Amino acid sequence: MIKLLHVEDDADIREIADMALSLSGEFDVVQCETGEAALAYVENYTPDVVLLDMMMPGMTGRQTLEKMREKPEFATVPAIFMTARAQHAEIDELLQIGAADVISKPFDPISLGDQIKEAMQKAGMTAAA
Amino acid sequence: MRPVYFKGDTAFSAALGCGLAAGWYGAASAVFPEAAGGIIPAAGAIGIAGFLPVVLGTRPFGQKAPEAARSHSNMLKQLQALDMHAGINMVSNEGILSEVNDHLLALTGYDRKELIGQHVKMLYDEVSQSQTCDIRNFLEQGSTWQGETHLRRKDGSTLVTQATIIPIFDKKGNWAGSISARTDVTETSKLQAERHSAQTLNELRDDIWIIDAQTEKFSYLNGSAKERLKLVNEEYLEKDLGDFNLASEIESVLKACRALRASGDVTTQFEAELVGTPMYVSIKYLPDPRGAGRYLIVSTDISHRLEQEQRKSAFISTVSHELRSPLTSIKGAMGLLLSGSAGELPDKALALLEIAHRNADRLILIINDILDMDKISNGQMEFDISDVDLVELLKEADRANAMLQQRFGVVVTLSGADKPVFLKTDPNRFIQVLTNLMSNAYKFSPPNGRIVLDIADAGEHVRVSVKDEGQGIPLAEQGKIFDRFADMTNSDRAAMGGTGLGLSICKAIVENLGGTIGFDTKEGVGTTFFFNLPKNEPASNAVDDVDVKRIA
Repeated sequence: MIKLLHVEDDADIREIADMALSLSGEFDVVQCETGEAALAYVENYTPDVVLLDMMMPGMTGRQTLEKMREKPEFATVPAIFMTARAQHAEIDELLQIGAADVISKPFDPISLGDQIKEAMQKAGMTAAA
Repeated sequence: MRPVYFKGDTAFSAALGCGLAAGWYGAASAVFPEAAGGIIPAAGAIGIAGFLPVVLGTRPFGQKAPEAARSHSNMLKQLQALDMHAGINMVSNEGILSEVNDHLLALTGYDRKELIGQHVKMLYDEVSQSQTCDIRNFLEQGSTWQGETHLRRKDGSTLVTQATIIPIFDKKGNWAGSISARTDVTETSKLQAERHSAQTLNELRDDIWIIDAQTEKFSYLNGSAKERLKLVNEEYLEKDLGDFNLASEIESVLKACRALRASGDVTTQFEAELVGTPMYVSIKYLPDPRGAGRYLIVSTDISHRLEQEQRKSAFISTVSHELRSPLTSIKGAMGLLLSGSAGELPDKALALLEIAHRNADRLILIINDILDMDKISNGQMEFDISDVDLVELLKEADRANAMLQQRFGVVVTLSGADKPVFLKTDPNRFIQVLTNLMSNAYKFSPPNGRIVLDIADAGEHVRVSVKDEGQGIPLAEQGKIFDRFADMTNSDRAAMGGTGLGLSICKAIVENLGGTIGFDTKEGVGTTFFFNLPKNEPASNAVDDVDVKRIA
């Protein structure tokens, strides 16, 4: 099972993502409503992959990742962003700070799991290289 | 200038004296506007008013013979001075010229015989011809008319005169004609007009620079420009442009000026930041056959406009992105239902769900188009250029649209795609244009219609085309097909799911990539949309060393 931490402030989107990721039965999903709650949760939990919404009240997805990266065990955990503002410049910026992928909203729930696994694979290859 | 009228004496000599005195005063005032207390005009006027009646035999009471002789001599000199100073003519009561002095001939360029016997109107230009009735009315009533008249010289140019026209009466007291004295104030008038123009230019809120194309120094700056460049008086006139504190900003404009002159064009416009203020800069090259000419640069502060545009853009962006969150849930929920992950649904429910899902897609398309259009309007559309195989992109677009092809029941074939075609372009934008043209082709194709995606070498360009077997584009719509919302004027087309922005976005993208877009169409046969991309690197998006944004 792939341990996935999903940080998203919109409850409906959390539910849809949870259902979508449960389709393949390959993901063990933990969901947090805010960046702050996610940071508190990871004190005792290290996921295999983090799925972060960009725009959230309080800490943004980017700020949350930066805080997580301060923990040594998070140094190589692939992070995938979800954003409704999928513009070239923003995507490039997120990829440059180490994002494994950037998924645009609205996303396709059927292929979401595959998209995450693909990004993890790519990030793993990059880390190995 | 507003005319001034004098009520005249019935005695011709006195009237002539007073009239010419008034003429002298008016003319001299125009010529010597700065004369202290009006001494020069007043002195002349008094002299003429006093002496002319004498020479014509109406000696004032109590004047003795030797005094009269001296007065007579002085008066003749005065008249001689007037004759040399002013253009004088006499006309009959029918307006026919009977006498003209040499000075008037010199001023107008005519010979005496060309004028004598002609109507005085021939001397007036269009402006003053309308004055003649007015003048005549005053003269008939015994009044003297004084004001500005515009004469037409023989060469067609305008002669501005300050004129005094007094009526002449015969022995019975009937109005017989008039005598006019005119002073040339053309130069004064021009100077006044120039002074008014200069004052207006100086007060304009726009910055105005004039740069000599030869010396490349400022020859004029208006008040706003001097304030922006922090200059006082005329200190800038002799300074080299490189010596200003803001040399780099001035240099950037100068470079644009040089480029304009070298290109052979006359005008250019662009946006640039000058002294921390975003400006719309418009340059006009004014050639001069006697020299290198001048550059006229008018810069308008656009910070307020940009702020408004940014606010509008931020609003559009926020609203559009805010719409995506609920759409994510709507589309996600429907996608899961359609996939059967929430259990099997009856066929009718599935069919309804498909409609809702399809329309959620359409809404997303509209939002994307609105965002793209906004970016295009603000010149903020981003391009990520790389070396790509267009054939591979063509195949990718074809694969991505497979479901849509199925839905519309069309058959797509690829042509010319048997070997790679490498080009430097933006792959995402290329696919966006192609997808848009393809979806249009699907929408307007008959069932089982054939669509051909073609890629071909067209010399300096690569030509990509999408050919359909639809109804073609009616002639009335052809001219506006790339306009925003052009599609929406046709309700059938709107019903097909177009936003009315697609083709205008395609055009903007292709042009930003340095290419061109167009179509061939025949009603009842079909349409081929095509775009040509240059084989060399797209240049339009490159930042030039002037660091300005050129405006289409």
